[in-house]
Amino acid sequence: MQASRARLFKEYKEVQREKIADPDIQLVCDDSNIFKWTALIKGPSETPYEGGIFQLAFAVPEQYPLQPPQVRFLTKIFHPNVHFKTGEICLDILKNAWSPAWTLQSVCRAIIALMAHPEPDSPLNCDSGNLLRSGDIRGYQSMARMYTRLAAMPKKG
Amino acid sequence: MQNQEGPKADGELEAAASTPTPEFDDWPNFGDDDIMQQQSAIRAEEADKTPFVGNKEPLSSLAAEYKSGSPILLEKIKVLGEKYDAIRRTRGDGNCFFRSFMFSYLEHILESQDRKEVDHVKVNVEQCRKTLQSLGYADFTFEDFFALFLEQLESVLQGNETSISQDELLLRSRDQSISDYVVMFFRFVTSGEIRRRSEFFEPFIMGLTNTTVEQFCKSSVEPMGEESDHVHITALSDALGVPIRVVYLDRSSCDSGGVSVNHHDFIPAVGDLTNASGSSETVSPFITLLYRPGHYDILYPK
Repeated sequence: MQASRARLFKEYKEVQREKIADPDIQLVCDDSNIFKWTALIKGPSETPYEGGIFQLAFAVPEQYPLQPPQVRFLTKIFHPNVHFKTGEICLDILKNAWSPAWTLQSVCRAIIALMAHPEPDSPLNCDSGNLLRSGDIRGYQSMARMYTRLAAMPKKG
Repeated sequence: MQNQEGPKADGELEAAASTPTPEFDDWPNFGDDDIMQQQSAIRAEEADKTPFVGNKEPLSSLAAEYKSGSPILLEKIKVLGEKYDAIRRTRGDGNCFFRSFMFSYLEHILESQDRKEVDHVKVNVEQCRKTLQSLGYADFTFEDFFALFLEQLESVLQGNETSISQDELLLRSRDQSISDYVVMFFRFVTSGEIRRRSEFFEPFIMGLTNTTVEQFCKSSVEPMGEESDHVHITALSDALGVPIRVVYLDRSSCDSGGVSVNHHDFIPAVGDLTNASGSSETVSPFITLLYRPGHYDILYPK
């Protein structure tokens, strides 16, 4: 518990330092609880998520950094590796490939990379995975873009 | 229309998260987290059977395990008995090599009070720190693990306020918050060494998994619970400058009829040691591990 708190505090300081270096990620710690974080990430360019701002919720376990943080999308997203209803993310580093070498910041980077490079063979969202697997890139992209517009972009008047 | 469903779906998740035991007709809410929970439950059950590091047992306890098993193994255990008299088991949680190494090394220092060895390993630990830094690891990701190992190293040396006894060493090795941190320290050291000498390790890694060196380190070295292979052992031994003997107990036999037990000595690559004494005497390992396919325990020579 003490160890995880100390580590998170170091990450907090690092995040303040890196703010300018990584304009695509805005990682914020809960005011009253260092085990709760949220992040705003920019949808990567040249993907159907471009132009969208996606919110992630982090719940950090007491055994952190030996155990991974739990991360999910709060913003609705149409992506093969993200559960459409719960926002749960299928990413190896958040499960058995986790190691303390990762940080909350680098997890955000990995999620952005996952958005740009979906893995349709281990889908949490089968509709999205099936579109990609059957080669209907256009179908996948238009669905993903529609949800980006609906859920991840500021509403216009 | 789907969009309006957004906030409601989130509300559902909150509810699902607060009920840890999902019903089977509740598939939409049955996620990876539940699988991980089940895995940790299985691990907890395993933990009740064997501590991270067990008590010293006579070699006869090993023979008892194979009483009705392979005659070759029983023969081999008899041969083992000529040189070794005890075994200390470690938990089969994928960390057994690192955990065996940790206990064996610290126990050796505790018994020998070999300050020269401690100074020597400390120099190498600092080298490992530099390696990780030059590979681009942020200090805060590994420094806690380094600090905890150095603390243990200091405390097995007697004559300090923080000195500990053999019993205390065993307790600490069984304490998850200490034991896992030291295991993780070794994983960082191993990964750093493999990546620093990636050209040397690449062919061995290709032979094992057909991945890149970097991928191998990320998926098979750094994560806790990933089992160790000769690549890990070579790298750790080289990085820390600590020789390791591994005795192999399997069902292989040689044609000549006689049964013998093979061992392999991992001797640190001297060329890479910053602190090599340059003496010509051959280093003999003070750490001996017993390897049975898939698992490492500690062996005690007579």
